[in-house]
Amino acid sequence: MKCDRIAELLPDFLRGTLERERSEVVEQHLAGCAECRDDVAVWKKLDLLPAVEPGAASRERFQAMLLAYQAGREAAEAQPEPAAQPRPRARKFDWMRSPLAGLAWGLAMLLLGVFAGSAMSRFHSSTEEAAAMRSELSSMRQLLVLSMLQQQSASERLQAVSYSQREERLDPQVLSALLRTLRSDSSVDVRLAALEALSQHHSQAQVRRGVTDALQSQQSPLVQVALIDQLLEWRDPDLAERLRQLEQSAGLNPTVRERAQWALRKLQ
Amino acid sequence: MLQVRNGESEMLGVLFDRYQAPLFNFYARLVGDRGASEDLVQEVFLRILRYRASYQPGTPFRPWIYQIARNARFDHYRKSPPQERFQPEMAPPAAAQDSAQQEQQAELLHRALRELPEDKREILILARFQELKYEEIAGLLGCELNAVKTRVHRALVDLRKAFRRLEQGIRGSGGGSAATDLSLRRSGHEV
Repeated sequence: MKCDRIAELLPDFLRGTLERERSEVVEQHLAGCAECRDDVAVWKKLDLLPAVEPGAASRERFQAMLLAYQAGREAAEAQPEPAAQPRPRARKFDWMRSPLAGLAWGLAMLLLGVFAGSAMSRFHSSTEEAAAMRSELSSMRQLLVLSMLQQQSASERLQAVSYSQREERLDPQVLSALLRTLRSDSSVDVRLAALEALSQHHSQAQVRRGVTDALQSQQSPLVQVALIDQLLEWRDPDLAERLRQLEQSAGLNPTVRERAQWALRKLQ
Repeated sequence: MLQVRNGESEMLGVLFDRYQAPLFNFYARLVGDRGASEDLVQEVFLRILRYRASYQPGTPFRPWIYQIARNARFDHYRKSPPQERFQPEMAPPAAAQDSAQQEQQAELLHRALRELPEDKREILILARFQELKYEEIAGLLGCELNAVKTRVHRALVDLRKAFRRLEQGIRGSGGGSAATDLSLRRSGHEV
């Protein structure tokens, strides 16, 4: 048997996961092929590379990060939830706000798009009309995002943020809503997701300005750390100044201060 | 992980204790820089908190965490490209029970691994040290199972060639600097 054929079997042979019959084939080949035998020998020799131990400070850094996260969550939970809107009677279009309805909307719009697309091609309509249809569909989805961001339930707001990530371009209105979510949503997770979604639109001045401003007003240490990381990636000219201001804030969480100092070093 | 996903963030400590050493070794072998490896491990656990909602219950956790680890490394070096440097402290430490020859071979293997292109080094490390199945590696790298096995084999062949070449170099120079360094290190001298 040739080395090429053995090459397919060797990785499983090396891990001892090759069935017996095939293992015997490999062993026969190895007995007569010095190079393949040497491959096996070097694989085994890799055992000589000992594991390296992470430093003791690593656990402490992790613990500080976790405490910062928990502190942020507890602070968010301590804030009273906005009072539920009185609902004397079910509103006519409430069902349209549920995620399921969102999905149904999406599907309906998709079907409509496919139907319209095929109809248009039949009538040799211009591509401009197809583009208009796509834009219409995108607007519908963005409306849905806006509506879902207002929901009481954090999981629905999270879903809204994730819906927004499907759009390549977002209307300024939706970007504003996401920035508002980043600043003041009661859930840390929704704020983090909003930051993630906004990072896709960093070419927009509105987004860069809004995210930079959020750094000072943010209360959750974990979101602050995420903001620092994001802003470091963008490297806006006034970032160093902003970080210095943050670092000097009284009562700043130690992990956040450490992250800001780390980011400042990276900027030098 | 399910508990972490459901908001019990203190359970992340259990995951940290279980995975920090394998992840640290993954990075250390891959990038050869202790400080960067420690930073990256912290980044992985921060990302687990941030993206925990994206973990699908019932799916294996190990490939998920390695996906995060690969993305974290990618982003880290996108922000600040790696400086090629060999950190002597990342080389295998001398262990009293090791024979001088074994130590020398470990050091040569370490160097041979560093000589491989990054994609080959990574797949070898994933397959050899990180306890991932080939199917899981295929999922991580976004390729077919057979492609993973082929790539592991090619990487191993290249490692073997690099290792034997380095070994020849040492023999050719009559023991060479690596052997001398090692014997000095064993005898407790500063090198």
